[in-house]
Amino acid sequence: MSDFNRSAPVEWGLRAYLLLTFAFVFAPIAASFVFSFNVDRFPSLPLGGFSLTWYQQVAADPLVWEGLRNTLIAGITVSVLATALGFGAAYTDFRYNFFGKSLYLALALLPPTIPVVILGLAMLAFLANIGLSGGIHSVIIAHVVMCAPFAMAIIRLRLSQMDASLEAAAWNLGASQWVAMRHVIIPFCRPAIFAALFITMAVSFDEFAVSWFVSGLNETLPVKVLGFLQGQVSPKINVIGTFVFLTSMTLVILAQILLMKRSTGGKAGQ
Amino acid sequence: MTSEPLVAFDRVGKRFGDFVAVEPMHLEIHKGEFLAIMGSSGCGKTTTLRMLAGLEAPTEGEIRLAGERINDLPTWQRDTPMVWQSLALFPFLTVRENVEFSLRMRGVGKAERRQRADKWLERMQITEFADRNVAHLSGGQRQRVALARSLVTEPEILLLDEPLSALDAHLKVRMQAVLSNLQRELGITFVYVTHSQSEAFSMADRVVIMSRGRIEQIGAPQEIYRSPRTRFVAEFLGSSNVFAGRVAEAAGGGIRVETPAGTFAAPLGELAAALRPGDDATFVVSDDRMQLSGSRPESGNALEATVLAEEFVGATAVVHLEGPGGEELRAQKSHDELARLTLSPGDKVWMSWGPEAGHVLPGG
Amino acid sequence: MTASDRSGLAAGPVPARREMPGQARPAGAPAPGRARKTVSLYGLTFSLPMLLWQMIFFLAPLLFLVALSFWSVRNFRMEPDFNPDNWSRMLGRSVFWEAYLRTLLLSATAAIVTSAVAFPASYAIAFKLSETARRWAIFLMVIPFFTSYLVRVYSWQIFLSDNGIINALLAKIGLGPFPMLNSNFGTMVGYLTLCLPLVILLQLFSLIFVDRTLVEAAHNLRCGRLRTVFEVVVPAARVGLTIAALFCFILTFGDFVSPLYLGGGDPPTLSILITDTTKSGQQWPRAAVVALVMIATLLVIAFAAVRFAYKERGR
Repeated sequence: MSDFNRSAPVEWGLRAYLLLTFAFVFAPIAASFVFSFNVDRFPSLPLGGFSLTWYQQVAADPLVWEGLRNTLIAGITVSVLATALGFGAAYTDFRYNFFGKSLYLALALLPPTIPVVILGLAMLAFLANIGLSGGIHSVIIAHVVMCAPFAMAIIRLRLSQMDASLEAAAWNLGASQWVAMRHVIIPFCRPAIFAALFITMAVSFDEFAVSWFVSGLNETLPVKVLGFLQGQVSPKINVIGTFVFLTSMTLVILAQILLMKRSTGGKAGQ
Repeated sequence: MTSEPLVAFDRVGKRFGDFVAVEPMHLEIHKGEFLAIMGSSGCGKTTTLRMLAGLEAPTEGEIRLAGERINDLPTWQRDTPMVWQSLALFPFLTVRENVEFSLRMRGVGKAERRQRADKWLERMQITEFADRNVAHLSGGQRQRVALARSLVTEPEILLLDEPLSALDAHLKVRMQAVLSNLQRELGITFVYVTHSQSEAFSMADRVVIMSRGRIEQIGAPQEIYRSPRTRFVAEFLGSSNVFAGRVAEAAGGGIRVETPAGTFAAPLGELAAALRPGDDATFVVSDDRMQLSGSRPESGNALEATVLAEEFVGATAVVHLEGPGGEELRAQKSHDELARLTLSPGDKVWMSWGPEAGHVLPGG
Repeated sequence: MTASDRSGLAAGPVPARREMPGQARPAGAPAPGRARKTVSLYGLTFSLPMLLWQMIFFLAPLLFLVALSFWSVRNFRMEPDFNPDNWSRMLGRSVFWEAYLRTLLLSATAAIVTSAVAFPASYAIAFKLSETARRWAIFLMVIPFFTSYLVRVYSWQIFLSDNGIINALLAKIGLGPFPMLNSNFGTMVGYLTLCLPLVILLQLFSLIFVDRTLVEAAHNLRCGRLRTVFEVVVPAARVGLTIAALFCFILTFGDFVSPLYLGGGDPPTLSILITDTTKSGQQWPRAAVVALVMIATLLVIAFAAVRFAYKERGR
């Protein structure tokens, strides 16, 4: 914007406001981190003193371990399935035009816009009706529905960076469709595929509402947290929150690094 | 050239629903020739090339390669490598891996693959970049990689889809020389699609000019330049003066056409042979045959026109003029000659040409 | 190169294809897919899994919800039925309508408040930060998506409770205590926690694409700074701003955590009604009625918002 469009008070006012906004967004995240090391059960200021008590309590809680196990099983399975489905749909959108394509895309992309309570209730009722509710598999089924659209979006974005004649060039050089898929499309999409794996895993890690509806007794970690929330004040939530945050952030940063590598992926010489 | 063409298009047409991309056409491409297909945007030239490559299926007719019908052969089973406008180099492979790609697809062993790829890297003078990422090469180098990648299987034919359009003018000319030499040395057939007249006319043995999905003219560059067969070609080449009119007289090896700008004479060529007095006809005369003078010449064809502007084109200049009926006219002159004439916009001047310089096409 | 010349860009080899060449199509060319539609194993391998999965586990459950809303419950057991009782019972209760109105109001307020709070921030990021700073700001705004919403809500409880952090700080300067938890204020804080990062990002992406020359042209035409924001920037980014507000509405409409744990849950919102009805026994058909009313409401709101977002002025 032009040099005349700046006035110092407005500039600084906006910057201060931006800082406040970030403060609001990060206050609860930072607080849960800080209070996870605080000795008091009822958190307040001033801080009571540094302690790892709550970490020890969480580590000693078999319910937490069980929840973590379920979360991991679900997260890993979901990420693989959702990424596979998302890849297929992204490639379909990239390459084909067919009657009803917009309906196909709507079906593939809409789930995240449906409120989770409704999705949870619908899943619970439907899965119970066909005898599939109340297990980790129910969580997996539901999470794949919710995560596949994310995987699809990430991989579709990558495909749109691809020179569309690349695939045709491979065919022209003697690669059949399957071979071109293996030697051209998949290598090109590799960073996005890994990013999709990590992002979908992170989404599954944090999801509590639908899991709460369908998981029955096989609760995942976030569902346990919801349970703690219903009970009395417990700093364990802060510990679990910190743990889940660090795990998710690791996954997201890994995904980010992979996506940053962009077109110059692979084997650069020199 | 042999009697058996390498490629034959037999009534080959392509439509997308109701849209006709290529009207049923006949075209023969001979072994070892450099054929350019030229036309403006949307004329069907790239569709024609893609049908030959097997990337687009003809909706009618038959394409034969060395006498065999190839309509139903997918591109990966034909040996018709193509160089893309975008080059379509695989960004996740090194230069060498790109070149080796089609050998790998054919199951050629590692050692042989490497040896054959190296030969082409060397031939295209890109050996030093063999292990680089293709993203880090210059435009000309990428061009060479694309050529090496397509030629490594030593095919009989190479298809090129506007491969030079992304290069700057200087590099374009250099790559034209590279392509011409390569084609001559290899002796294989090049089919080259372009919208650039200078590329087509400077490299090709024969040029195909297409418009709206139809072939307008096929011929050697000089032939097309000297005697465009249709009004479209004459106007497309941009260097001709075109007058629409009616035949006034056709007899004794000569023909006279009456146009709003005057009545002009030309030899009775083969195209105009069937014309009778009263028929619609188009009179064409190339801009380098036009004489300019201050007064009416004593003989030959002449008309008085108004100078609009001069355009500087390297060693020569083009004078743009307007005829008495509003025709857009042009004359190509040397700078010396123009200096003698001292024209300025708005001046009246006589344009003239000898009877042998023009030719007549049937139709308005 | 032209549209028609390039029409085959994304297209594949000729045989066994179930589509016309993709992407750019020549003007006047008809919709693809009419000629030669042979379904190939290759194409199906990639397209079919997503289709089947979402039909079976997304579409079918939602449709099943409709059927379920007509089932009857006898002796704590659900039985397939075609019984409009659930509908008349639920829609006949004033509690339901109170919850409905309350939810609608809360979500609408959340959409407006969040948009208003977000706008100066996204404006600052879009127009006042350097390229690098902007990238960092975006990165920071993405982080909250990967932190547990539950944990953040729990944190707000620590901040907002009667003897929580904020009241402790206020007490030091002799103010308060102010009751903030279990109120609409608490709910709103939760909703902001849920939506603010997303709304900022969505607003940001539309603001970034506002043509800077429009702003210069406005100034050049003697439109002042603040006025330019409302007369030029906001209209130019209308689609993004509306969609951001819509997302905020949808998210808060379906959220049960903030109204329950920060708002106190009494009187309930529709989503609390659903969780209560579902978890307290076998009254799923009634929960289904609530869910379907919610979906219908959301569809109407979403449709209206999109219409508004893309409405062209003039003819």
